[in-house]
Amino acid sequence: MVLETAKLMVRFGGLVAVNGVDMTLRQGEVRGLIGPNGSGKTTFINLVTGIYQPTGGKVHLLGEDITAMSPDKITSRGLMRTFQLPRVFGNMTLLENMLVPRFADIDRDYRRQLPGAIEKADGLLAAVDLRRLRDEQAKTLSGGQKALLQLARGLMPEHVAAFMLDEPFAGVNMVIKETMMRLISEKAAEGVAFLLVSHEMTSIRTMCPTVTVLAEGSIIAEGTMDAIASMDHVIEAYLVG
Amino acid sequence: MNDVSPELLANFLVSGLIIGVLYALMAMGITFIYSIMKMINWSMGEFYMIGSYVQWFLVSFVLGGSLWYLGVLGTAAVVFVVGLFVHRALIRPMFSTAMERRNEYGTVVTIALALFLRNLATVLNGPDTRTPAIDLSPVVIGFLRVGGTRVAALVGAVIIIGLFYYLLTRTWSGLAFRASSENRVGVQTAGLNILRVDQVAFAIGVTLAGLAGALLAPVFLVFPANGAVTTVKGFEIIIIGGLGSVPGAAIAGILLGLVESLGSVFLGTSLRDVYGFLFLLIVLVIRPQGLFGERSRLT
Repeated sequence: MVLETAKLMVRFGGLVAVNGVDMTLRQGEVRGLIGPNGSGKTTFINLVTGIYQPTGGKVHLLGEDITAMSPDKITSRGLMRTFQLPRVFGNMTLLENMLVPRFADIDRDYRRQLPGAIEKADGLLAAVDLRRLRDEQAKTLSGGQKALLQLARGLMPEHVAAFMLDEPFAGVNMVIKETMMRLISEKAAEGVAFLLVSHEMTSIRTMCPTVTVLAEGSIIAEGTMDAIASMDHVIEAYLVG
Repeated sequence: MNDVSPELLANFLVSGLIIGVLYALMAMGITFIYSIMKMINWSMGEFYMIGSYVQWFLVSFVLGGSLWYLGVLGTAAVVFVVGLFVHRALIRPMFSTAMERRNEYGTVVTIALALFLRNLATVLNGPDTRTPAIDLSPVVIGFLRVGGTRVAALVGAVIIIGLFYYLLTRTWSGLAFRASSENRVGVQTAGLNILRVDQVAFAIGVTLAGLAGALLAPVFLVFPANGAVTTVKGFEIIIIGGLGSVPGAAIAGILLGLVESLGSVFLGTSLRDVYGFLFLLIVLVIRPQGLFGERSRLT
């Protein structure tokens, strides 16, 4: 098991945004996480990645309890994430954006490590068809290109065990979406576990053998896309909200 | 308007350039801290003051005037360590929790720190004004004759600015600082410890102020309130240059020095500070975000 949450919960005042979520991710798994707006999907990712501290429950990554860890420590243990609005470093070049995650990996021999890091960055940029823009500032990219850069940057660390993608396909064109899906599939085949949060049901159906449905902070269904699509309470959650 | 000889104009311009570069050093420290922590350190003038005192002490009691440049290195080390400690003790607690309005609390804390440090210096130093005994021959270029300590301050400031530029643009640490200034949450999820970045950035920022104090100690003397004027100049500069823009702070500092000098030579020295504020007002009217500032920042 790569990632495991047990009764994960967060309360903001009187609002329980995530209510006792149990979820597991196995090595190489691509799991979908869907749910109506406000169901707690992004909050769940924020809890697991340390942006928010849970008010209850536990998170384990590769057997280690990461519940109380800061985001940088969680990242250094191999759990990466993207944001719905891509958080790229706009005034830095694409190559510089790619090198930022490697800063946490470097040791005293950083000069020796730099060529290898650049080579890996170039490879990942090529995989998302952004290699030709490596020396351009990230703020010149389109929204879809920023999403690609964010995805590629998340794969830069030496060891990525799990990757949580928050609405990676939102607002991107078909070509960019297919590029992302191809890269996700490649990395999953290499053993990286993915959690894909998306409203794009066709992409979820294509990529995710298992889908989890969140509503009002709780898991209400789990299974294949076809199975959950026919569940009355899932349909009701989307219609009623 | 005064009649001005070319020699007088040249002397004032050189003086303005020198002072402008030193102002820029101070302003770069303020804006560097702000760009990463999104917090203004209102005690920068007191770190300038600490730098001037450390330099005076090292030159007067340890190194002697001929090794004044080693005193500058020593000042950098001392102020850097003080900055690390101050951040750890006073600033980090606000940033390590999910505290609301921490930037406002940072303002309160750093103003309190400024008052404390200035009063501590008054208690320890008394009313006397100090000066490090650095005896450098004037530099003569054609008809220009510039004081040796001013030239040394200019050369030192240029070297420091160059090293700072190299740090930001050519090192892994600089990569981390620039990324942190762009997006604090994004950089954490890329694996960087933002609190450690903050601490080092704060220490570097106050060290820049301390170095300005060390370099200007023989020019503007050493006393507990000597940082107050430079603090005001520093904040003028970061508004002119654009809040958060380190290159803007450098260029605006030089411009402010030149504006003050030109105003002094043509209109009189008694309103020297007014010329700078008029320049600030003109910039705010024409370009409110500053010469190199951005209209909006993504955090």
